[in-house]
Amino acid sequence: MRKLLSVLLMLCLLGSLLVPFAVAEDQEPITLTYFYGAPGDQPYPDNKIYKKIEEEFGITFEMEFLAGDLDEKLGMMCQDPDDLPDLFDGGNSADKILISSGVLINLLDYVNPEDTPNIWAHIEPQKNRIITKDEDTGEDVMYIIPNYGLGEGDQIVNSVNGPAFFIQKQVLAWAGYPQIKTLDEYFDLIEAFIAENPTNEDGTPYIGFDILTEDWRRFCMINPVQHLMGRPNDGEVLVDINSEDYATTTFINQPYAKPYYKKLNEEFQKGIISPDTFVMTYDQYIAQLSTGIVLGMFDQTWDFGDATNALLTDKKYANTYVALGLIYDEDDVPAEDMPEGWTIEEHYVNGSLPNLDRGAGISVSCKCPERIIAMWERMLDPDWALLLNWGVEGEDYSIEDGRLIMTTEQNANTQDIEWQRHNKAQAIWNSSPKRQGYIMEDIQVGDQVVTAGNCWEPGSQPEIVFGLMNDYDKEFLSAYGYSKFGDFVNPPIELAPYGEAWQIDKSPIEKDYNDFLNIQDTQLPQVIMAPEGEFDAKWDAFVEAINPSCEVYSNFMHEEILKLVAAYYGE
Amino acid sequence: MTNSVQGQNRHYSPKKKSTFSKLLSQWQLMLMSVPIFLYVLLFNYFPMWGWVNAFKDYGNRKLVAKGITPWIGLNNFKWLFSRPDFFQAIRNTLAMSVINLVFGTVSAVLLAVLLNEVRQKTFKKTVQTVTYLPHFLSMVIVVAMAQNIFASNGPVNDLLVALHIVKEPVFWLGEGKHFWWLVGIINVWKEVGWGTIIYISAMTSIDPALYEAASIDGAGRFQRILHVTLPGIKSTFVILLIMNIGHLMEAGFEIQYLLGNGLTAAYSRTIDIFVLEYGTQMMDFGVATAAGIFKSVVAIILLVGANFIAKRLGEETLV
Repeated sequence: MRKLLSVLLMLCLLGSLLVPFAVAEDQEPITLTYFYGAPGDQPYPDNKIYKKIEEEFGITFEMEFLAGDLDEKLGMMCQDPDDLPDLFDGGNSADKILISSGVLINLLDYVNPEDTPNIWAHIEPQKNRIITKDEDTGEDVMYIIPNYGLGEGDQIVNSVNGPAFFIQKQVLAWAGYPQIKTLDEYFDLIEAFIAENPTNEDGTPYIGFDILTEDWRRFCMINPVQHLMGRPNDGEVLVDINSEDYATTTFINQPYAKPYYKKLNEEFQKGIISPDTFVMTYDQYIAQLSTGIVLGMFDQTWDFGDATNALLTDKKYANTYVALGLIYDEDDVPAEDMPEGWTIEEHYVNGSLPNLDRGAGISVSCKCPERIIAMWERMLDPDWALLLNWGVEGEDYSIEDGRLIMTTEQNANTQDIEWQRHNKAQAIWNSSPKRQGYIMEDIQVGDQVVTAGNCWEPGSQPEIVFGLMNDYDKEFLSAYGYSKFGDFVNPPIELAPYGEAWQIDKSPIEKDYNDFLNIQDTQLPQVIMAPEGEFDAKWDAFVEAINPSCEVYSNFMHEEILKLVAAYYGE
Repeated sequence: MTNSVQGQNRHYSPKKKSTFSKLLSQWQLMLMSVPIFLYVLLFNYFPMWGWVNAFKDYGNRKLVAKGITPWIGLNNFKWLFSRPDFFQAIRNTLAMSVINLVFGTVSAVLLAVLLNEVRQKTFKKTVQTVTYLPHFLSMVIVVAMAQNIFASNGPVNDLLVALHIVKEPVFWLGEGKHFWWLVGIINVWKEVGWGTIIYISAMTSIDPALYEAASIDGAGRFQRILHVTLPGIKSTFVILLIMNIGHLMEAGFEIQYLLGNGLTAAYSRTIDIFVLEYGTQMMDFGVATAAGIFKSVVAIILLVGANFIAKRLGEETLV
C-alpha cells in the first residue's frame, strides 16, 4: 500500500513538472540554439530585452559565440547536419560555407507580402539584390535577410564608417587644420609632425603609419589603390562603371598600383613605417592604436572601434582619428598607366548597400522556422524596433517634444559591454533584420508621440551625435567649418547596380583565390620593405608571380558582376 | 620422405600448441591488454577508414552537402604533387623537425650531464624545476612572449645593438631565413627541462661502482663523463632517437601557426598547416587527406629505416 502511494506521489510530481509545457500550442516555450559567428559575451540571465522576447514570443536562446577561426568552425559544424544550431550567423563566411553547403532553409517559403508584410516592406526596395536565383533549380531564393543597410529615408552620413585613410586629430590641429586630399599631402604632413614631435609626452616614439596585414585584415594593405583611383570599396577589383560591360580587373597587379607602394616604400626608408607592422596581430594592432602613438593608417572605422573606445575612455580626444578621402595626385600616375578614359574623383562613401548574405539564417534542422520568422516580423513593428534600438522608454532614453533623446550617461551605457549584457539583446539584434535610417511616420509610445524625422538608431540621432559630442571634437569641427565628420569626404555616390563587389562569394575559385592572397601576404610586404634601388625589381617579380591568379580572379569577378547587373535590372 | 613429413609434423604442431597455450596461461595479462587493444583499434586503426576520402572529389560543396562525393582515383595526389607549396611544406616540416631534434637532444643531454655532476642538491632541484616549468605553458603564451622578445625594439635587439654586434635591429619575426632557427630556440627553451628527465633517470641507473673504478684508474671529471656517463645512457638515447625519427614528419603545428605571418609563410607552413588550410578552411577533404596519407607513409619509411640502422649498429631497437 505504501509503495503504491509513493508511486502515485511520484506520478503527481512528474505531472506537475509537465504542466507548464502544456500552455497554448503555438506559443509553447522553446529554446533555440543560436551560433553567432563572432566573439562575444553571453548575456546575463536577467537581461531585460531577452526577457521580453521570452514573454512575447516564448523563445529563449542558447547561444554559442565564436572562439577561434570562423571558417574552420563553420566547416566543422556543416559536416554534422544532425548537430546544426537552429539559428546561424555565419558572419562574413555565411555565403561561402553555409549557403554553399545547403544548411540554410530558403526563407521565401515563409516570407511573402501577405503573411509577413513588415519583412516584405523591409526588403522590397532592394529585393533584386537580396532575392537571387538558385543556379541549379532556377527558383527564387533568400537564405539570409541582410542585417544592415536597409535604412529608410535619405542615407545618413554623419561620419565615415567604412574605408579611409585615418589620421590623428592632433596632427591636423598641429598643422593648423589643413585640407588633406592627396597621398603626398598626407605623408608630408605625418613626416613634418614626426620631425617636430618625435615622441609623445611620455617619451614613447610616434609611429607614422601602420599597415595591418593579419589574415583577412590584409585589406588594410591591399585595398587603398582602388580608393586612390576614386572608387568606393569593391574589395580587390577595380570596376569601370562607365564602361559598357563593367570592365573588371584586379588592381594589385596593375601599373597604377605601383605609385602607392612606391610611396610606402619611400616612407619605409624614412622610418615612417616600421617593419614590425607586418608581423603584428590584430590584437597587437588594437593595443598599439589604443595607446595613441600611431599617427595614421588605412583601415575601416568599424575595424578599430575598440581602440577608439579605449582612447575616449582615457580622454585622449586629440589622439582619435579623422577619416580622410585621399586620391592620387594628377602627376602620381603616368597617363599611359591609367585605364582608358579614367578620371579620378574622390568617392570613399558609397550609396547605402544591403549587407547581403550577412545576418542570421535558419538551419535545415530547425523545428519551427515559422516562429523565428514571426519574431522577426514583429521585431520590425515600430514598438519592437524602438525597444531593440533604443531600449526601454524612461530607463534608457526619453521622449521630449516628439524627439528621442539620451543623457550622456545613457549614451555612454550603450557602449559599455557589461551594460549590454544586462540591457541589450546584442547578439540577436545584430543578426536580425532591423530598422535603420529615419523614422518616416509618427509613433505612439504610451501617451507620447515620437515624430517622424527621428532616427531609428541612437548612433544616428543628431541630438546624440552632435549634442553629446565632446568639446575637443566640437572645436575641431568648427575650426574646419564643418558640421560633421562626414564632411571630410565627398557625399555618397549612387550605388552601382552590382552593389559592392567584395560581397561576391569566391568559393568557386577558392584555390586560385587562396594563391592570390598568399602571394600578396608573402611578397607585398617585401616590396614595401625593399632596400633602396631594389623596389622596381621586387615589384616586377611580385606582378609576375601574381598575374596568373589575378587573371582567373578578374575573369570570375567580371562574370559574377555581369550576372548581378542582369539580376538587378530584372533580366 | 615419410621421415621428413613426420619431422615437419613433429616440428610444427608442438610449436603452434605452445604459442596458444602460452597465451592461454597468460590470460590475465591478455585481459589487461584488451582495453589498450581496443583503444588502438578505435583511435588509430578505425580512423584509417577516412583515408578513402583521399580518392574522392570534395570540390563541389552543394554535392558534398548532399553526401555525393564522386571517386576520382589519384587526382588529389596528382594535384598535390603539382603544387610547389606542398613541397615547400614538406621541406619546412623536415627542416624544422631536424633542427628541433638536434637542438632538443643535444641541449637535453648536455643539461642532464651538467645536472648529474652537480653535488649541491637544492641547486640541482631548483635548476631542474625552473627548466621544466615552461613545458607546461601554453604555446600561445610562449609565442606571445617570443613576439615581444624578438620584436624590432625588443630586448634581444636592444642587447645586440648595445653590444655593437649588429648595427640595425634584426627583423627576426619577418624574415623567412630566421624562422626555422627561432622555432628551434623557442622549442629548446620550452622543452629542455622536460627532455632531461628521462636522461637523468637513465643516469641514476648507472652503477656508482663504475665511477669509483674510473676514479681509481685516474679518470678526471671529463673522462668520467665521456667514458661512463655517456655510454651509460647510450641505449636510452638510441631508443629516443628512433622514436623521434618516427615523428620527424610532425614538426609541430601550434608554434608555426601562431608565430608565422604572411612574410614568413614560405618557411613556416608545415604539412599540418597545409592540411588545415585545405581541409578545414577550404573544406577540400580529399586534398587534405591525400597530404595526410603522404605524411604518414613517409613517417613509416623513416621509422623502419631508423630501426634498421639501429639494429645494424647492434643497439636496442623498437621492433
